[in-house]
Amino acid sequence: MQGNRIAITGIGKTAYLRKGTQTLTHMVVEASLKAIADAGLTPADIDGFVGNTNIPKSDDIGYLIGMKDRAFSATTDVAGGSAPAGQAVILAQLAIEAGLARHVLIPYGIWSNKPGGVYAFHANEPLKAAFEMPVGFFGQPSYFASMANRYAYDYGLSEEELASVSITYREWAVLNPDAQRREPMGLAEYRQSPMISTPLRVADCCLTTDGAGACVVSAVDCARDMPHPVVQVAGCGLGTSNFPHGILFTQNPCTYNYPGEASAKKAYEMAGLGPKDLDLAQVYDGFSISALVQTEMLGLCERGEGGKFYHAGHARPGGRMPVNTSGGHMSGGYVPGISLLIEAVKQLRGQEGERQVPDARVCAVVGLGGNSHTTTILTRS
Amino acid sequence: MGIPNYPVNLGYHTELQGFYDGLAAGELRLTANAETGEWLWYPPENIPGRYDGQLIWKAVSPEGSAYTFTTVKRSLLPGDHKDEVPFTVVLFEPDDAPDCRVPGVLVDAEGVEPACGMRLRFRPVPVGDHIIAGFSPA
Repeated sequence: MQGNRIAITGIGKTAYLRKGTQTLTHMVVEASLKAIADAGLTPADIDGFVGNTNIPKSDDIGYLIGMKDRAFSATTDVAGGSAPAGQAVILAQLAIEAGLARHVLIPYGIWSNKPGGVYAFHANEPLKAAFEMPVGFFGQPSYFASMANRYAYDYGLSEEELASVSITYREWAVLNPDAQRREPMGLAEYRQSPMISTPLRVADCCLTTDGAGACVVSAVDCARDMPHPVVQVAGCGLGTSNFPHGILFTQNPCTYNYPGEASAKKAYEMAGLGPKDLDLAQVYDGFSISALVQTEMLGLCERGEGGKFYHAGHARPGGRMPVNTSGGHMSGGYVPGISLLIEAVKQLRGQEGERQVPDARVCAVVGLGGNSHTTTILTRS
Repeated sequence: MGIPNYPVNLGYHTELQGFYDGLAAGELRLTANAETGEWLWYPPENIPGRYDGQLIWKAVSPEGSAYTFTTVKRSLLPGDHKDEVPFTVVLFEPDDAPDCRVPGVLVDAEGVEPACGMRLRFRPVPVGDHIIAGFSPA
């Protein structure tokens, strides 16, 4: 694959709500139709579809939105979190480069308030049910809290440094009228946030959201004739580790060693760019600690320096490397991955008003999901 | 400090019972390759042609150290477990199988600040009608 062969030409989203009233199908269709319209297309123009195992199938969505010819149809298979969005871009590029499609729809949505709750799938893992649940080791906050304690042991991490991740993203969310959590949060408010699993408080965790988003990816030669400034996919990469979900949080030699450096290396090489070329980044923030580590893996600072990077204010509004300019998943809304892609596109188009990063031309979007990680480098041509 | 009380659910994976047989016998037993003795933990699923009949349960050292820990203040286990928090989960690395981590509960540790690297000793802990892996400061 080569960089700058495809572009994200359309974006659309629903409201991100703590508790929505619409079905997942309804939300995904709404976001898809908005993305198609944003691209200046009709559903009949869409000839490719990359879905995900967490949303309704292309048969259903394609029918409901009025697609005519689904010449390319695929489903991302990486675990949840934010990685599927990056993998979907890779699949879309493959389809477009192969001549199978010209305009590929990438929808995603989440119904967090579904019966059983957001952690129910862990209980279906036999090894977790056998060895971890009886000792109370259950749910992402506990898994990532244990990573945070080990990271702090390996590198050092103060409470103030960890808090600065959440506080930074909240500062951006205050500027985002569509964010779920907009009330200002400083260190005092952070410390009032209930502790879930030491050292992670509620404020260190992503939100619970019902919502959906979608992108249209097109061949770059088509994009030049479409309504918006061209936002190209300069590079994309997928990194994986060989630890399936059932053992990932306990048996990985370094439990916080996500395959983020591998995905970043591939994306940077494809783009012919490096961390110093970035104007801003959107980093998957399931938790403050995982966002901090991925910030390091993207090369925005040295390994072990993530806490100092955030505490110094580099990622804040006005900082030298803005991160999660929508408020991310911890303050903006948890529609994983796709919402970060949408935010990146809007920043590169210059559509973000009060929170617009001046002259934003290169943005990285990174996503973690289980043992997979993706990095996508977007540029405004 | 509290103690989590959640049933052991092996489902169809009765081959995992060896761990709890070990706890009942006062031992911490992990799986290993029957031929080479190499530790294979967590036990890989028995797939015909791969690990089929090749896993044995072997006792490991009751002494080791904590890879990491977290003190759970809000239990996320299904059901109501408010009365069981706080408790501290540790990932225990046995001295003679340091690449294998066993999740367990920190016990006998009133006044002790949990820490990565802290020395621990295995102690089976009865909870309701079952036994879980506990670890106390060594």
